Amino acid sequence: MTGAIGIRMEMPWWLRSHAGLAGVIVLIGVVCLVGMMVSDRFLSFNNFLNVFEQTTDLALVSIGQTLTILSGGIDLSVGSLISLTSCLTSGLINNNPDRVIPVVLAVLALGTLVGFINAGLVVVLRVHPLIVTLGMGAILQGVTLLYALGPVGRVPRSFNFLAYGRLYGLPLGATIAVLLCLLIAFVLRYLPLGRQVYALGDDANSARLVGLRRTRILMLVYGCSGFCCAATGLYLAARFGAGQPYTGVNYTLASITPVVLGGTLLSGGKGGVIGTLLGAFLIALLNNLLNFMDVSKHYQLVAQALIIILAVSVYVDRRGMA
Amino acid sequence: MSEPLTTSAELARPVAPSASVRALLDRFGMVLILPILIGAGGVISPAFVSADNLSNLLLQFAPLAIVAIGQAFVMIVRGLDLSVGSMMATAAVIATGLSGADRDVAAIFAVAFLVAVAVGLLNGFLVTKRQVSPFLATLATMILLQGFRFAYTQGAPSGNVPPLLRVFGAGKFHGIPYNALVLLVLAIVLAIVLHRSVFGRRIFIVGGNPVTARLFGIRSDLVVIACYVISSCLAAFAGLILSGYVGLVDNWVGQGYELDSIVACVVGQVSLQGGRGSILGALAGAAVIVIIANEVLLLGVPIQVQMIIKGAVIVLAAALYARRETASGG
Repeated sequence: MTGAIGIRMEMPWWLRSHAGLAGVIVLIGVVCLVGMMVSDRFLSFNNFLNVFEQTTDLALVSIGQTLTILSGGIDLSVGSLISLTSCLTSGLINNNPDRVIPVVLAVLALGTLVGFINAGLVVVLRVHPLIVTLGMGAILQGVTLLYALGPVGRVPRSFNFLAYGRLYGLPLGATIAVLLCLLIAFVLRYLPLGRQVYALGDDANSARLVGLRRTRILMLVYGCSGFCCAATGLYLAARFGAGQPYTGVNYTLASITPVVLGGTLLSGGKGGVIGTLLGAFLIALLNNLLNFMDVSKHYQLVAQALIIILAVSVYVDRRGMA
Repeated sequence: MSEPLTTSAELARPVAPSASVRALLDRFGMVLILPILIGAGGVISPAFVSADNLSNLLLQFAPLAIVAIGQAFVMIVRGLDLSVGSMMATAAVIATGLSGADRDVAAIFAVAFLVAVAVGLLNGFLVTKRQVSPFLATLATMILLQGFRFAYTQGAPSGNVPPLLRVFGAGKFHGIPYNALVLLVLAIVLAIVLHRSVFGRRIFIVGGNPVTARLFGIRSDLVVIACYVISSCLAAFAGLILSGYVGLVDNWVGQGYELDSIVACVVGQVSLQGGRGSILGALAGAAVIVIIANEVLLLGVPIQVQMIIKGAVIVLAAALYARRETASGG
């Protein structure tokens, strides 16, 4: 055991802190290799741009999820919050270009507020985040269905740019997701508040003893998750042209997969958002590959589940050694 | 940790009456809410206490109660089973996979339970041998089952539920649903297993304190795996009953039951931290959910409000429980 720790100490910081990334990078490499054999179009720049674009929604929501998991919690209200925000976006804008900016700001604020409420409930009620956010998810889904029972409103054509637009040849939404990811990665690595997220997730008791302010950290983490959900909601509204009350249902659990694939421990304290971004990219790439191979959509789920099982088994092994 | 390890042993021990009353309240307090809820239902709407409505309530109660019992087993060993909903749907799809005649019922049960045992073993294996968090392991099997189900049905299940299963899921005997009778037998048997057998005692020890369990020489891994298998099998059984109740099958029969069963257990004072819980509690929790849903319906409030109330109830119940635990813990 000490030997393993000794080795870890000798590793340069950039390798040590990114050890979790190795798995996802290897898996991406494997998928690329198989893809190369399946079709010569798979490794083309255009296909990669496509996959990049298809990563947007999953990447956005799971970046926020990474933060809550790093802090030792989880956010199960993301799916309902995405549904709510996407419905509100199209419902309130309702094809009126003048309303785009205020509604976008309001929706982002609402998402953050819901995150704050989650954090507040966790602190005040002393209930595990799993239960708090599960309950919040049910409440938000109810509210969403009260607001709309079917697709609601429309977004103006200009708003579609968020989902389909290209900036210097790069898909706009995906680029925003990457920039957001880099920003959060910077905060996590270099700012005290970011380091405190890891401290809290690694050992809540020690964090309390050294005087870290749990409330503030949780506010940041769940607020961020809420913000990311709102961003996902905006993106989905732009992509589909209208919000639907069940549009986010699958994201609740799907958002956890990239986090785990990216090497973040579900028990908290270890990992990072860059891994999550690569994890989301891996899933999109895998689905893309299965499309190339003409595998039915149904088996894509099977493949995804098998990858999760494979990944978690491998990662646990590594932690056992360390 | 002043958390009590055993529950049935503690009950059997002669203690001061006041302490034993408090212990009973601590564990079964939620059961007392039921008469209040039913009384409130009667006040809100007389239709609620009509024999017809109560018998329908029982009909809807059985599937959720069966899943909740399985969920309780898993939660007591510090686990969580998210795959129950997917397991139910899979069992339902299996139910219509054959010709739809009564002679298939035995085969349907055999296949459904075979799949359930496999799923339970996989869950248990991942959790114990690979130390995957229960949340993630059962999430993966949930997606796995979903994928296989969709691949098998090509997205649109077809076929009929055998008439015998229909009777089983929706039939009534003098106003008492058959499935409620089945539930009663099942609950009594499983309560004896959990609260009065050596195996049940081991479940509580493993969930309450894994280190103690190891020192006692209990093979914790086997106990945990057994709990996941029990949960999967009960979910499969509930899926078959539910397919009989609904009469037709789609890929999403049982959706929401993973959440509802967890809520039922939390409301029924099954501890999320493991080591505590009872069959009676799980049943009471499931009853609370079904009754609240029914009352909201009778009140004429929009059906969406159900979800809002359900969400609020789960958080409040957990908060109530957390308070008590920290208060008694020191």
